[in-house]
Amino acid sequence: MLKIENLHAEIDGKPILKGLSLTVNAGEIHAIMGPNGAGKSTLGYVLGGRPGYEVTEGSITFDGQDLLEMEPHERAAAGVFLGFQYPVEIPGVSNVQFLRESLNAQRGQRDEKPLSGAEFLKLARAEAARLEMDAEMLKRPVNVGFSGGEKKRNEMVQMGIISPKFAILDETDSGLDIDALRIVGDGINRIMRQPDKSVLLITHYQRLLDYVKPDVVHVLADGRITRTGGPELAQQLEREGYAEVAA
Amino acid sequence: MSVLELPSTRAEAWRWADLGALSAAAAMAPVVRTEHEFLDLPGARLLFVDGVLDEAASTLGAVTFGEVAGSDHALGRHARAGWSLRLDSRTAADPVQIVHVATGAENHLAAEIVLADDAVGEVVETFVGAGWANRYTRTTLGRGARLMRSVRLLQPAGFVSLREEADIGEAASLVTTFLGAGGQGSRIDAQLNLTGEGAFAEYGGALLTSDTQAQECAVRVNHAQPNGSSRQVWRAVAAYRSRASLAAAVEVARHAQKTDGEQSLRGLLLHRTATVNLKPELEIFADDVKCAHGATVGELDQRALFYMQSRGIPRSRAQAILTHAFVADVLERIGNETVRAAFEGDADAWLDAAL
Ligand SMILES: Nc1ncnc2c1ncn2[C@@H]1O[C@H](COP(=O)(O)OP(=O)(O)OP(=O)(O)O)[C@@H](O)[C@H]1O
Ligand SMILES: [Mg+2]
Repeated sequence: MLKIENLHAEIDGKPILKGLSLTVNAGEIHAIMGPNGAGKSTLGYVLGGRPGYEVTEGSITFDGQDLLEMEPHERAAAGVFLGFQYPVEIPGVSNVQFLRESLNAQRGQRDEKPLSGAEFLKLARAEAARLEMDAEMLKRPVNVGFSGGEKKRNEMVQMGIISPKFAILDETDSGLDIDALRIVGDGINRIMRQPDKSVLLITHYQRLLDYVKPDVVHVLADGRITRTGGPELAQQLEREGYAEVAA
Repeated sequence: MSVLELPSTRAEAWRWADLGALSAAAAMAPVVRTEHEFLDLPGARLLFVDGVLDEAASTLGAVTFGEVAGSDHALGRHARAGWSLRLDSRTAADPVQIVHVATGAENHLAAEIVLADDAVGEVVETFVGAGWANRYTRTTLGRGARLMRSVRLLQPAGFVSLREEADIGEAASLVTTFLGAGGQGSRIDAQLNLTGEGAFAEYGGALLTSDTQAQECAVRVNHAQPNGSSRQVWRAVAAYRSRASLAAAVEVARHAQKTDGEQSLRGLLLHRTATVNLKPELEIFADDVKCAHGATVGELDQRALFYMQSRGIPRSRAQAILTHAFVADVLERIGNETVRAAFEGDADAWLDAAL
């Protein structure tokens, strides 16, 4: 589904990703772990097409298409979803409006007909309920005044509504309390654990991986993948640290 | 009138005025009269073409015509005669709709709105066409009277200048919302006097400018009596090489204690080549007052734009949504739902064209 080859990317002329290669097949969940500042979020932003993140070398193919040739909104319509490490607050724009615009913009790009206000609300309420988010929060401005954990849960509600093919989830577990972690973990499995979908799960901790069992675990350090293994690699990292395992 | 009779931009209160655009508008060759629909509201409908009533297209209701007590203001003094709306507490408060169509050159018209004690009124005005439309509006509100006024400037070209003077009596309320969403230059020039105790004035709007256009407001609110409150909430959105300027002043007289004045002036630059000027001013001579003022200019939040794009929303649409949100709190002040929806639609149409 996703094939990254020899990816080099820089921000303001500073190289961050330095020859990263990674292949994720349909039906797989990959975890990416790695020290602070290694370039994990940068990888997510490059996949999403964030302005200012310049790819200087390498390629990214998604479902056979050249992802780097596509605008950010086109990538979303093609099925890429980026769960943000720091979800953005948008004063004056309600969650409902934001999500309905998002979903209908994607549907429009795929020549599907837009959902009506009522159809959308039904979908959004159901998804909020599954992730145990108060439906009242759908009316509030996007992420404004949400706690850290509420923002992360809201990302998952968005993912549930959009139902992407491929999700990069950047530290979706950070800031979640113990119950929320379980709910979000179950949500990721429910929404994304499917033969035609895949996930890149960026995390620092084993505990999310207890709920969402990865098929493959990678270590990203200094802009490249330095080790790849099975779920046991995450446990080893937790025990021994990056210095030992992935130096 | 000759444009030369206007003050020069060396005068502080006129420093941001685009007098060049005003003279160019006054010299505009005749253009075909544009058709404009009235909103679907009950009440009187007045259609003015170049300041002259089109009787066949108008229903006057309570509106009459005559001389209006003059102003000595540079803009106001040129309009002496015009329409008059006088309401008392027993008159039905159906909105009065006024459409001003300009067909080139200059036109001047005065107006007077007089609400007796406890009277309630609503006036909606729309400017379309091309040329220089100059208006002088004098408002007097008696004790407990309430006036809602909404004014939109939608001329594709030319200039609209509004001189507004109001006396707001005891416990009376004036709420006025402007939307500048046309291609014309503009100057909204106002002096509001809170002459009665506990008077309330809300005077604000959104000026959306594009291309090389310049729009501005220059508003002074004078609190002469205690316990009054005023809110001046203005938003300026400037694209390309345009300029939007907001100057708002609050004066609080020595014995106007417990005055509550709020000024919120905010500008949004859609392009780095555009200009927003903000000038909040406070002149306070009383000691027990609460006056909050804020003035900020910024650009669209790039992080929010990318967040929206990453969810599938094209960049231009994301910009439009964020800009709409920026002006929404001003337009939400319009109490009449039909009027508010129309103004929001005009703002959205402007955004679609500009972004
Ligand atoms: N705008 C920027 N200008 C310069 N350097 C930047 C900029 N944004 C990020 N960086 C740098 O890029 C490097 C990678 O950052 P990134 O956010 O991808 O790390 P990360 O692996 O996600 O770390 P964490 O685990 O702390 O979230 C860091 O050294 C960071 O300081
Ligand atoms: Mg990160």
